[in-house]
Amino acid sequence: MTVQINFDSSWQDEMVERIEHDGPWGNWELFKLAIEIEKHTIIPEFEGLQAPVHLPELTPLPHQLEVAKQVVENMNGKAILADEVGLGKTIEAGLVLKEYMIRGLVRKVLILVPASLVSQWAMELNTKFHIPAVAQKKSYVWEQCDVVVSSIDTAKRAPHRDIINNLNYDLIIIDEAHKLKNNKTKNYEFVQNLKKRFCLLLTATPIQNRIEEIFNLVSLLKPGHLGSETAFFEKYKKDSRSVNDDQHLRELVNKVMIRNRRADTGIEWTKRHVETIAIEFSKEERALYDSILSLRDSEGGLSSSQFSLMTLQREACSSREAVFYTLKNMLQRQDNPSIAFQDIIGQLIKRVEAVTKNSKAEKALELIKQINDKVIIFTEYRATQLYLQWFLKQHGITSVPFRGGFKRGKKDWMRELFQKNVQVLIATEAGGEGINLQFCSYIINFDLPWNPMRLEQRIGRIHRLGQEKDVKIYNFATKDTVEEHVLKLLYEKIHLFEKVIGELDDILTKLEFGNIEDHLIDIFGKSSSEGEMKIKMENLTSMIQFAEEMKEGNTRAATGNP
Amino acid sequence: MQQQEIHNFLERYFTANHCDLLENNQGYMTVQLTVELDKELMNRPFYWHYLEKTGGVPNPMKLTFITNKKQAPDHIKGEVIHFGSPRLHQIFQSTKNLAGFIRLYENNNFGLQTPLIPWIGLNMKISYQCDRKRDVYQSIGLQLINGRMVEDFHDKLLSLPMRSKIPDYAYTLSPLIKPRSGLNRIQSYLTNRIELEDHSWADEARMRWKKDLDLLHHFYEDEEEISESFETEKIALQEQYEPKVNISIVNGGLFYLTEKAL
Repeated sequence: MTVQINFDSSWQDEMVERIEHDGPWGNWELFKLAIEIEKHTIIPEFEGLQAPVHLPELTPLPHQLEVAKQVVENMNGKAILADEVGLGKTIEAGLVLKEYMIRGLVRKVLILVPASLVSQWAMELNTKFHIPAVAQKKSYVWEQCDVVVSSIDTAKRAPHRDIINNLNYDLIIIDEAHKLKNNKTKNYEFVQNLKKRFCLLLTATPIQNRIEEIFNLVSLLKPGHLGSETAFFEKYKKDSRSVNDDQHLRELVNKVMIRNRRADTGIEWTKRHVETIAIEFSKEERALYDSILSLRDSEGGLSSSQFSLMTLQREACSSREAVFYTLKNMLQRQDNPSIAFQDIIGQLIKRVEAVTKNSKAEKALELIKQINDKVIIFTEYRATQLYLQWFLKQHGITSVPFRGGFKRGKKDWMRELFQKNVQVLIATEAGGEGINLQFCSYIINFDLPWNPMRLEQRIGRIHRLGQEKDVKIYNFATKDTVEEHVLKLLYEKIHLFEKVIGELDDILTKLEFGNIEDHLIDIFGKSSSEGEMKIKMENLTSMIQFAEEMKEGNTRAATGNP
Repeated sequence: MQQQEIHNFLERYFTANHCDLLENNQGYMTVQLTVELDKELMNRPFYWHYLEKTGGVPNPMKLTFITNKKQAPDHIKGEVIHFGSPRLHQIFQSTKNLAGFIRLYENNNFGLQTPLIPWIGLNMKISYQCDRKRDVYQSIGLQLINGRMVEDFHDKLLSLPMRSKIPDYAYTLSPLIKPRSGLNRIQSYLTNRIELEDHSWADEARMRWKKDLDLLHHFYEDEEEISESFETEKIALQEQYEPKVNISIVNGGLFYLTEKAL
């Protein structure tokens, strides 16, 4: 088949006219310059990127170049970049952005990232890519600057929202895009309404095997490409086939998603050393824990709420402050607490007051002194965070807190203090996301999250590209408590720490077994006896192991196929 | 283009447009725009309109460009220019606008009356476009007396001394071929040549197109009415994949050259 050839004839008409009118004629130097520019901006091959040629100081890794190439060549600038944590998604997005800017296809750009990463994104784009990205501070920035970095929470609020909705963007980049998998949220609606030509969604948590999540993310990139929502769900939900079983869906997902695993990148990663440190309760701490445990079988307002009891148990393993805070809240939340309820809480508070020392904190102090280098302590509880800060200060150790709720400037500042002046950073869970701390190589997990993904996020803060040392992770677990059980199950039996996130994710989704946390609450909260708990735990373990084997079996089968 | 090349380019562009470089140091430069260039680059027609109506004193802007943040002193404020920045694209575009058409004479300090032969020269970009893109730069000149065609025309001109006014002792021959038909000859020569090229790239693009289209159909096969989003998606695919060759003209002009020049 022949190809349509278009010849731009407008130039000829004007040339003839200028000959007739004897000019005006251009300047020889500019004429030559115009041709030099043309030679610079030409794209000499169908394949390959221009950006790296123009960025002599940047040395992207092979997998990063490959991703950028795929996005530009095969995905038409609409992609989900789902590399594992720490593989440099920012660099990949930067390469794509630069490439499109060089090709003159992109000018107006909106980059939505977690608040704690706004400055970092702007800085990296400026220094590594010579792209004058601006961190949004004033509302005129949206219109006046071409490349703007902001948090989604700022962007979706008035008056910004209306300004942004009126702009036409050439490219939108969204970091931590897994937060957009639910199409009922304000954030989703906001992103959906943005006018965009190209779009990159970055996430380290890949799309789970849930069909609606896939539908929602793909619909952001290519609305209508999966058909209408109702028709889609009718087709795929009725027989509840999983995504992997449906060739069309898989094909489509592969068209829009790229995912690199650490193992695929061929990069030498520093090692992870994981050490579990068993903590022995003091007599008073044990008494507090046991009294919470005993409430399970008692009558009264507390035992009805497995969730609160479980929380209290876990908090008792963290700090008395955490327990106290929750107890106070429980009391306040009830309008007319019964006398019995008040009694129970009162007794527990007495137990709390009897505790004189925090065994974990003392162990942490000892460790920090011994490490004599920068350390990150993660805790699930804010009360514990405050306590630890106070406690370390008493012992002459400097620390800064880090929380998800901090404003951007404060996060930047805390990070900088930690890098330059302070030995310890104490972070709560929400603070774990979206901050890069690869200059530190020690983590203490003061208490453990029950969701293994969150744990990976924690470790990913330091075990990422740019980390030069081996990473050391200390897990604190109090003996004979729910904590020890969880650690045994999740982190020793199925070796979660050694696994990298991708494998784990594969395993969990293969089972479609829902939220691991729910399973744990069921096991530890609802079992009526030690025996039942053991059996349920064995079940969960073997389910996970089964999924693992299935996965290995699949790979073998896949390689065996012609 | 590396940052230093960008710096050199800006220097040449503003000098060629008669702008004063107030400062020109490592990593940055400050330029006093002329009225013409202010109108060309600054996009403030109301200001100029107002000025012309009121007869005020024109005050064209000064611009500072930072071509290397590391080398420029911290207190220097200005636009950071990088390869890919909209400002640089604008200046690229302006260079092409300002130098789209030219008429030049070869200048050899002629001692005797010398005839200069008219040529028409075209510098073009041929873009092979589907979901991917490839460009070829092409420069062709055609002698307007005997119709001889020469490739790499521009590069050959670069080695000749050229000027914009007719030199003393030189006179020009009138073309036997009209410039318009000269241009047509170049166009049909090029189109014929491209048609004969191997177009497997286009076939491959059509195959990718079809595959995507099939996939799209699959998601809509159960719907009875043809929905709007289906049509939108179909058009989007066409725009993305449909193979075509676009020939655009960078610049060109009339060149009067000595007989032995080419």
